[in-house]
Amino acid sequence: MKTQVLAFTLSILLCASARSELKWEQTQLELHPAVGDKVAVGHFKYKNTGTAPVKIKSVHSSCGCTTAQTQKDQVAPGESGEITATFNIGDRTGTQVKSVTVETDNPAQASTVLVLKAVIPQMLEVQPALVYWQGGEAPKSKTVSVTAGKDFPVKQIKVTPVSTDFQVKVSKVGDGEFKVEVQPRDTAHQMVATFAIQPDDSPKAVYLSARVINSPPPTTTAVKP
Amino acid sequence: MKLKQALLLVLLAFVPAIGQAIYFHDKVSWQTPVAASEMVTVTQARAWGDNATWIDARPDAEFAQDHVPGAILLNEDRWNELLPQFLVVWSPEKKIVVYCSTQGCNASREIAHRLRTEAQLQNVFVLEGGWEEWVKRRDEENAQ
Repeated sequence: MKTQVLAFTLSILLCASARSELKWEQTQLELHPAVGDKVAVGHFKYKNTGTAPVKIKSVHSSCGCTTAQTQKDQVAPGESGEITATFNIGDRTGTQVKSVTVETDNPAQASTVLVLKAVIPQMLEVQPALVYWQGGEAPKSKTVSVTAGKDFPVKQIKVTPVSTDFQVKVSKVGDGEFKVEVQPRDTAHQMVATFAIQPDDSPKAVYLSARVINSPPPTTTAVKP
Repeated sequence: MKLKQALLLVLLAFVPAIGQAIYFHDKVSWQTPVAASEMVTVTQARAWGDNATWIDARPDAEFAQDHVPGAILLNEDRWNELLPQFLVVWSPEKKIVVYCSTQGCNASREIAHRLRTEAQLQNVFVLEGGWEEWVKRRDEENAQ
């Protein structure tokens, strides 16, 4: 009985002494990419503060837009490293929160969730991005509001190209606020145009679509996969 | 006495609940919340037939591999370029069904949200289970 107790105590002590632990500098990062940046990269640094090596079994992200890579698969005691999370900004806007899950062979710390927050600036916001008229509707002008982001001192905007089907009139209504009025030539024909709206001094554009629609009546044919 | 004990237990249960509410109050959910009325099942969406426009919110490479027949690619990687292309063919009478890879993905919710807010489109639905569920249904039918 004494031997059993001794063996049990020893095994507990051995387990405790062979402790492994990844200590993270930060598990949450906030990034502020600039306009035009393609990616936002977060570096999550860690150190193995235990006395046993840690095996990083897997690293996976919450979204296809984020890739995560580990510097090493095995982290020796006292060794440091990092997980690099690359968020593909694309045409995303606003605050984006993505997570990366790191799984290790340490049962006490089997899974760690790293959070990458990216605050993406938007130079111009167009609302709505589509104006349309039904065939036969009165060809009255419709208004679209264009607002500059708070960190962007936009003095003037331009709308291109010039369309023969739609007349476009731009006016400034406030600090960084503009009004775009769109009017179709007529509504007897189907017409479509896409306009690029951009600050006078920047190539970065947002888009506005205008259409005159003569919709056919809906049908009810089932789609088979 | 029993009543007192029960009350005490209820009060104790509040402690972790309040702690959790305080700790998580500013935490962002991984998924954009979508009302149940804005979700649609594969069966329902398919029953709409030609009265639905399918939007594939997955990355370009996944769309190129395979997609719902007739689906239009519209993802956030190239939103500025792809949105005008979609709006050219969009029809106000048709419902819009947006899907991404799986039930857990968030891209379809994001795209649906942007279509509603930025383009101010109505009748925008998110497909439950996404592409994975659609393929499952297709395979089941092909096996029959």
